[in-house]
Amino acid sequence: MQESFSTLGRHKAVTFLSVVIMSLSLLVLAVFLLATDNVFTFFERTRQEMTVFVYLSDDLSLSDEVSWATVEDHHKWLLSMEMVEAVEFISKDQAMEEFRNELGEERSVLDVLEANPLPASFRVTLKPEYRDKVNIERFAGAVTTMDFVEEVNYGRDFIEQFASVTRAFLYVDLVLGLIVIVSSIFIIANTVRLTILSRRKSIEILKLVGATNRFITAPFVIEGAFQGGLAALLSLVLLFLVFLVLKGMLPDLTFLGLSKILLYVLTCVMLGAIGSFASLRRHLKL
Amino acid sequence: MTDPLEPRKIFGVYHLSKQYGDRMVLRDVNLQVGNGEFVFLVGPSGAGKSTLLRLIYMDESPNEGQVIVGSFVSTNMKRHDISYLRRKLGIIFQDFRLLEDRDVFENVAIAMRVTGETNYNIKRRVMQVLTQVGLYHKRYDRPVTLSGGEQQRVAIARAVVNSPEILLADEPTGNLDPEVTAEIIQLLFRINSAGTAVLMATHNHELVKNFGQRIVFLRDGTIEEDRRLGLAAFKKDRIGVFQHVGRTAGDGRDMREDR
Repeated sequence: MQESFSTLGRHKAVTFLSVVIMSLSLLVLAVFLLATDNVFTFFERTRQEMTVFVYLSDDLSLSDEVSWATVEDHHKWLLSMEMVEAVEFISKDQAMEEFRNELGEERSVLDVLEANPLPASFRVTLKPEYRDKVNIERFAGAVTTMDFVEEVNYGRDFIEQFASVTRAFLYVDLVLGLIVIVSSIFIIANTVRLTILSRRKSIEILKLVGATNRFITAPFVIEGAFQGGLAALLSLVLLFLVFLVLKGMLPDLTFLGLSKILLYVLTCVMLGAIGSFASLRRHLKL
Repeated sequence: MTDPLEPRKIFGVYHLSKQYGDRMVLRDVNLQVGNGEFVFLVGPSGAGKSTLLRLIYMDESPNEGQVIVGSFVSTNMKRHDISYLRRKLGIIFQDFRLLEDRDVFENVAIAMRVTGETNYNIKRRVMQVLTQVGLYHKRYDRPVTLSGGEQQRVAIARAVVNSPEILLADEPTGNLDPEVTAEIIQLLFRINSAGTAVLMATHNHELVKNFGQRIVFLRDGTIEEDRRLGLAAFKKDRIGVFQHVGRTAGDGRDMREDR
């Protein structure tokens, strides 16, 4: 421990240089993480907005007074389901009102209608953990069989597309992530190799005087971890600059959260330590 | 070999052969060194002196044969054991091999630090050894600021700080002028007289032929001659050579007094 910090002090120039090189390669990883994080945030937000419309049979919605009680019952029934988070009742009149508003200028076309053709409906929001294709379909299937239900609409096409887009993105992202991480490890291992080669003589001497491998490697591993951490912090600063530039073009962009930053720094610390250890093993026949 | 009057063997190599690619560097070498003995290993460059030493401190392993150092046997060594073997040996080189980024004190102390010795003991022992090699006053200097002779004395201090039973020296005077060479050899004799066996490799037969010590001649990877002198010759010749080395250096000091 004491050894490694005094070594860091003794080799300021080499340490500084390798931290800079490492942080530049880590920047690629950081940008990748930022992009992934934002895309997933976007997916998550889209998922949040997913709602299921349950349209009621017209005979039920026509006779208002009689059916209020039953509407209440159905409302309660839907709410009692485990997957359901919220249920909002939209009456025929409300539906008409919304439709009018959506039509805007063209709303006069509705004046020719004698009766309100729109059905009453429940707007169901599922709990976040159930907002995926399989569960939404399960829910829709269960509700459609009820006799008070005319139709269930949950934007089938959109959900299916959304599911395949997120899946495709996930695969591409994993492959890209793997490439970025492997290349980071490669660059870090090479950077560490420079440090090790620059101290090859010292290591030989330590071996001559009977230092165990642990005595020799420990300072390098601790130093690698320390450099990894420093490089991570430096790359985060650079990432923030990149973020500020991109934010001008994409206002919805968000920076990595605190927990992700911590995880990232921790990963880099590990990468530094592992890189050092692997490099030592390879180049010094320890 | 079992002569009870001979000193106990402290290390030895038996039927040792070493090959690099097609090149035979050592061929069936047998050499045993007794406790407290001083042996010069003489031969031209490329004769295999350094390789032999490397095999003894087990930086390399032999293709054939065996190296035995104390309780360590080369055919039976694990990687981990090598560190512990090195702690029983002192090793010095032509190019000193000091840590450029540490001061003299730390260069000597490192050999004790690797053994996990306490700071108190390290300080006490390092000061003692530095005093013995005459560098106590330079303990905070960096190796680069020292002369060649001083650097070699730092290396010697590092080699003996753990009180090894064996000191291996690979051309320790190769980079030094005659006067300093005499000082270093004298220092090695002093270490030897305290009980440490010394094996010193050199290409310079002229330098060592009159010290009266055992001389092993190595040529083309085989031992050509193992010359042991009688006690009488030993005393007479050693005195003669101290004068000889002293004269070469031109300082006229009589080194018998230091012995």
